[in-house]
Amino acid sequence: MIVKRIKGISVSDGVAIGYARIVEKEHIHIETKKISKTAVNKELKRFHKDVEYVINELNIFIQDDSFSKENRDILTTHKMILQDPAFIKRVKELITQKLFSLEHAVSTYFTEVVNIFDAMENEYYSQRLTDFEDVAYRLLSHSMNKSKDVLAKLDDKSILIMKNITPSFVTKVFEKNIRGLCTEKGSKNSHSSIIARSMNLPMLVGISGLLENINEGEQIIVDGNNGEIIIFPSSNVLAEYKSIYLQESQQRKKLQKLINVKAITLDNKEITLMSNIELPEEIDQVIKNNSRGIGLFRTEFLFMDTEKLPTEEEQYKIYKKIAETLAPEPVIIRTIDVGGDKLSSILNVVHEENPNLGFRGIRISLENIPIFRRQIRAILRANTQGNVKIMFPMISGVEEILQVKKIIEECKKELKKKKITFYEDIEIGAMIEVPSAVITSDALAEECDFLSIGTNDLVQYLLAVDRDNESIASYYKSCHPSVLKAIKQTVDNAHAKGIKVAVCGEMASDTQYVKLLLGLGVDELSVSPGRILMTKNEIINCHVQNWAELAEELMELKTSDEIYERLNDSKNYE
Amino acid sequence: MIRKTIVIENKLGMHARPATMIVKIASKFRSEFRIIKGDMEINGKSIMGVMTLAAEYGSELELIADGVDEEYLIREITELFASKFGEE
Repeated sequence: MIVKRIKGISVSDGVAIGYARIVEKEHIHIETKKISKTAVNKELKRFHKDVEYVINELNIFIQDDSFSKENRDILTTHKMILQDPAFIKRVKELITQKLFSLEHAVSTYFTEVVNIFDAMENEYYSQRLTDFEDVAYRLLSHSMNKSKDVLAKLDDKSILIMKNITPSFVTKVFEKNIRGLCTEKGSKNSHSSIIARSMNLPMLVGISGLLENINEGEQIIVDGNNGEIIIFPSSNVLAEYKSIYLQESQQRKKLQKLINVKAITLDNKEITLMSNIELPEEIDQVIKNNSRGIGLFRTEFLFMDTEKLPTEEEQYKIYKKIAETLAPEPVIIRTIDVGGDKLSSILNVVHEENPNLGFRGIRISLENIPIFRRQIRAILRANTQGNVKIMFPMISGVEEILQVKKIIEECKKELKKKKITFYEDIEIGAMIEVPSAVITSDALAEECDFLSIGTNDLVQYLLAVDRDNESIASYYKSCHPSVLKAIKQTVDNAHAKGIKVAVCGEMASDTQYVKLLLGLGVDELSVSPGRILMTKNEIINCHVQNWAELAEELMELKTSDEIYERLNDSKNYE
Repeated sequence: MIRKTIVIENKLGMHARPATMIVKIASKFRSEFRIIKGDMEINGKSIMGVMTLAAEYGSELELIADGVDEEYLIREITELFASKFGEE
């Protein structure tokens, strides 16, 4: 066999070598043999019992308010499909008149429905197909005892191959200690991908032709570092990857020992090392990696892919659960930060020529005050333990902070009027990601309790380089002299006012830059939960005073290349 | 038997969530409940039926209730449509 490589989108780094376990929803084998007339009653009883079982299973999720309202609504719809008189009538008809087995009758009914919906032109309705497929699968897999089979065949040598995967299934298969995960569909920032990433589970998505090219049980390699899977690896290729895998797992073991080590530098400076999260489900990994709270809780997930804005109550419950779980460690909640284009389903957004310089971040909040106030009230109320802080994205100057502070005060008054108790003293911070915010950081530091540098956007806006535009990717330089100077200026201005500075962009977890950031005077780092330990490893091996001197030297250099070279040499410097 | 014509006023039309709400309410009553859109007539207590209507914003529906509590059924369903299913 010839070695075959197929490209995909890498969701998380790391190499996995294992055996393909294909789980394909569509592949439930339905027995189409007719049942005997005497078996009809038995089959009908089985139908009612199975439907009842699945409804009970759904009820458990529907009543669990730790799931989002949105998800529970979907499951309620699923439940009603199972209670639908048309569904029950048709399945009974197929069993009694055509002598279909239960599985055959159910799958026939759903195929009929899917055909009706398929014929519809409205995109929203054709999307509902997945709802029916989900319900059909849930019922069929129960009737056929299939879902247990699926998990039972997974072990610590498995690489799971699927067309697509739901977030809850990612969590389930992770518990089986699988080595890697590949899907034909999916995107880098889907919920499933985010969860896999925070678990450090090697995962590739968007691999076209995946299911056609892999056979059950074959040995395959998932290369998350280069974004490809390797089928029929030759012995040479296999040996090469085994050594990479070995190195990585030794590194992981080494890092694992740091779990209970404090993030203190060689010269005794304690650095607050926190987590960035995008979904409440990631909190398990925040705790597992023993990080000191959440430095960036992105709230966009509540507002995206939704038909309806989240209510104050829904937001409050989610924020409160996370804040209480992590108390007394801080939880910094960032108000909605997303481009207007992503919210077109719930807000009236006009087309923008230049969305990166357009309607996004704090601007959306300040132009939609009722939505903003709802979020602020939810955050204030969630602060039952006094560990919640609020952070605002895309701040370009003090006027926005003043506006925001006024709104917070008004929200506090409203809550007091309603006799709702909450910690009134809540710290607020500005994200520093727009060049004007760097230049006016002295004034911002006076109005804020902390500043947090979002390096991804800061580099993008400082250098006027779109990160996602491949043709200019080489112009995106995290160690451009202007970036270093901007960070230093922000830190100096903040320290002069006695407040702290965090970095929550990708630079904070890039081992190339962690020590440099500390040398520039950054007090706190916030990184994805999966990168906590490797960042901690940099911190405990950093002598801040030495790196402060090196940082001064680097800022004297005129080009990114020189800085980059000098940084690489710095390994000898230590 | 009561017949009533209504127009869908929520922007997103009768997607899964509103359909679920309609069936939930209709199922509380003993009367039969049917919905007609154009030449399509479906059982208003069947979620599949309601969803297959694919009723979009602005489309006209005829509600027909028949039975002992038909008045109450039509009243609650009409209120539900008027509330735009709680969408903003």
